[in-house]
Amino acid sequence: MSPGQAVALVVDDSQVNRKVLARHLGSVDIEAREAANGREALELLGADGAGFDIVLLDIEMPELDGYDTLAAIKGDAALRHLPVIMISSVEELDSVVRCIEMGATDYLPKPFNPKILEARVRASLAGKRLHDLEVESAARQAELLKTIERQKDELTRFLSPQVAALVSSAEGEQLLAGHRRVATSVFCDLRDFTPFSEAADPEEVLGVLREYHALMGRLIVEHGGTLEHFAGDGMMVFFNDPIPQEDHVERAVRMAIAMRDRFGDLAAAWAKRGYHLGFGVGIATGYATLGRIGFEGRYDYGMTGPVVPTAARLSSAAAPGQILLSPRSHAAVEDVVEVEQIGELQLKGFSHAIAVVNVLGLKERLRAAVEAG
Amino acid sequence: MNIDGAPVLDQAVLAELRASIGDDQEFMVELVETYVSEGSANIDGLLAAAAARDCGAIVRPAHTLKSTSASLGAMRLSAICREIEAAGRESRAEALGEDAELARATWEATLAAFAEAGLRA
Repeated sequence: MSPGQAVALVVDDSQVNRKVLARHLGSVDIEAREAANGREALELLGADGAGFDIVLLDIEMPELDGYDTLAAIKGDAALRHLPVIMISSVEELDSVVRCIEMGATDYLPKPFNPKILEARVRASLAGKRLHDLEVESAARQAELLKTIERQKDELTRFLSPQVAALVSSAEGEQLLAGHRRVATSVFCDLRDFTPFSEAADPEEVLGVLREYHALMGRLIVEHGGTLEHFAGDGMMVFFNDPIPQEDHVERAVRMAIAMRDRFGDLAAAWAKRGYHLGFGVGIATGYATLGRIGFEGRYDYGMTGPVVPTAARLSSAAAPGQILLSPRSHAAVEDVVEVEQIGELQLKGFSHAIAVVNVLGLKERLRAAVEAG
Repeated sequence: MNIDGAPVLDQAVLAELRASIGDDQEFMVELVETYVSEGSANIDGLLAAAAARDCGAIVRPAHTLKSTSASLGAMRLSAICREIEAAGRESRAEALGEDAELARATWEATLAAFAEAGLRA
């Protein structure tokens, strides 16, 4: 069978009728295969229609007549879509009405007129082709949706949830292309991690990192931070992008405090195993450019601008347990957090020194602690 | 169509069929050959059912022979078979014997007519 050629199943107990029909069908490039009764027809159709495009069905037949054959075809979900044209003599018109009510597409009067035959078969085939296309297109669409869902799932494993959502959103392309806004950058890493990683077994180092990443990752998501990247023990998180957050500085600081608090528990457990690790954070706020950074084949959603190295340098300058804020970050949260002055710091690579503070804690919490005595 | 008025072989039907298959003499002969072998079996079935006064058994061979005969222009046999089919369906057993005998005689005449038309070797 050539791919474009339709295949008809001619079901008639009269071989003369089958021959004439097959001949007429052949002359309009439709391949005909024959069955002498309904049972043979159902056998040929098999479970899935066996590639047949149309059935021409006689009514009076031995073994399994046209009604029962039609009922079997229309009652089977895998065969139901096959158009069935009833073959009938003039005096069987009442039977034809019944067959059409049962789902037959059309009927063909005997003796056969090749023009009527071709017209009715073509019309039914067109209907089936449309149905096939619909089924095919629905299947393709379902496959496509599944792929998209799978890709989304994978994305959320590799990207920050915000960035994964952005990539698959309608306005995503515009945001990815790059935009400028005020944002808060947070750098944090472990103190004394390098000597620890040199001394400890690699399995031990990876175990510590896993615990640390799991804890920090949870807190980043909880506070709505966008994790730009992590490398070993260092992490860069930013706020106010891609989703705008009016309280982005406060979120950053609250996250850092939570990290420091929770890190204390981890560090205590590690100390029992003989590892003494500290945790430091640097936070800076200012204008930055955010969007797609990288090259074809490997892009990150990133943040660039002086605010980024400022936060990085502050993190490097922080002693274990310190959360250092740039002046602009401090100004935004001075009502919320208690700080101590560190003084003017000349950060590497910057021409001016900046006034830096260390976060002692949330005012609300410190007050509660004082009141509790 | 009433039996006496129906031609044994309707040349117009035959010509129409011939034209519809592209005037293919070989196919026409093959078709008549198929009709003859299929028809013989149906005539036999018809006679056996008539002899047994079996109204149920006579319907199918009568129906098939009615239909294929009409396709090939054997209009008189087709008309007789229509009568027999109706008699069978209406359980008129008494009519079967005579009608079946008429069908057999007409069958012979039909075969002769096909031979005369150059469609039987």
